[in-house]
Amino acid sequence: MPQYSLINSKMLSIKLHGEEVYAKRGSMIAYTGQVDFAPSSSGSEGLGGRAMRSVTGEQMSLMSARGTGEVLYAFYGLHVTLIQLSEETFFAESESLLAYDGRLRSGTQFMGSGGMQGMLRGAATGSGLFTTTLEGAGELAIVSDGDSFALDVTHERPIFVDPQAYIGHRGQLQSNIVTDVGWKSFVGQSSGESYQLKFTGLGTVYIQAAERGGNR
Amino acid sequence: MILNAQTLPANGNINPYAFCIDVTGEMLIRKGKMIAYYGALRFEALGAGPFEVLVNEVLNSPLHARNFVVVTGRGKLILGDRGHNLASYDLEDGSLVVRSENVLGFQPTLACRESIIPGYLTLLGTGSFVASSNGPVHFLEPPVKVDEDALLGWADMPSPSYRYDYNYVRGALRTVGALVKGWGTGEEKQLDFSGNGTVLIQASERGVQR
Repeated sequence: MPQYSLINSKMLSIKLHGEEVYAKRGSMIAYTGQVDFAPSSSGSEGLGGRAMRSVTGEQMSLMSARGTGEVLYAFYGLHVTLIQLSEETFFAESESLLAYDGRLRSGTQFMGSGGMQGMLRGAATGSGLFTTTLEGAGELAIVSDGDSFALDVTHERPIFVDPQAYIGHRGQLQSNIVTDVGWKSFVGQSSGESYQLKFTGLGTVYIQAAERGGNR
Repeated sequence: MILNAQTLPANGNINPYAFCIDVTGEMLIRKGKMIAYYGALRFEALGAGPFEVLVNEVLNSPLHARNFVVVTGRGKLILGDRGHNLASYDLEDGSLVVRSENVLGFQPTLACRESIIPGYLTLLGTGSFVASSNGPVHFLEPPVKVDEDALLGWADMPSPSYRYDYNYVRGALRTVGALVKGWGTGEEKQLDFSGNGTVLIQASERGVQR
């Protein structure tokens, strides 16, 4: 079992004993031991998942590391958060995903409602409306601009999130794309703020204090 | 730790980069800086119907009014800005000139006016506002000379003037070529503050891309 630990708030260490770890391409900063790196476009998912990705634009640019040793990962000085899964599904924005391993199965899922039309809109804008899913038991690491933090969602208390600040979520949550008419009519055109993600149900949402697609 | 609507701070930092506002009435926030919220909040354009008074009294500038929206209702609103440090500041019958893009939100008890310096706005009156900075804000006392890009704002003092290095001015007077960009150290032009008051700077030269 690969062992995940944080060296500091921006540096991740994974100890390998022959397993395979998938991580953001270019995020390896050092390693010891005998480790081989290879590009991987889809991590631990099948051919269907790969086709889904190319259609939806929820691209993951991954590399796999296999071998024995310790690998250090960091990405542009972004903060790293470790998340522990116990036989559940984590929904992650693919850009925020730093590393996971073969214990988790990955896939793609649409976040909004609105049927085919909503889906096409999401695919066209490519702004966090599709997410990567990771299912199983094990650890994963996410990166965030500034500390990420977790927000609780209950049946009485839904939450509204800027899609560009969204990192991921877990639990029994339904997500909807909400358009605020007042907001949209004014902000509309290109700022990408005219829709928000509304989460209802029971679970946890992770966000970062920055909007993706700004200066990176 | 997982936060919820009750445990979120009321008007405080969640971490250095995210700030939570307990909205009970009206609040003006910069467009696009909302990252999440709980509760029944509405985001409306200034000048969209019921906010004529705000336009006249609070945000009397077409230039800046375009960048702000009015939040109404009750709920917890979380702001974030490119991973910059966020903090809340109180103004008591004060006058503060601050870089416009760093002002993320303010109470309508403050009046926002267009500063004569482009890219800056003036906050007048009593109330609190939320602002971002690259790294924590550092306060300086005049007389001081400040790099234009690191400047965040200044309070209760006269406007600054530009000051050029002696060698730069001499070179500029001698040849036209001296005015071509890329010449010199890039540090030959500063803002010169004098008088009484406070100058606010950040640990960043704006526009530096990561």
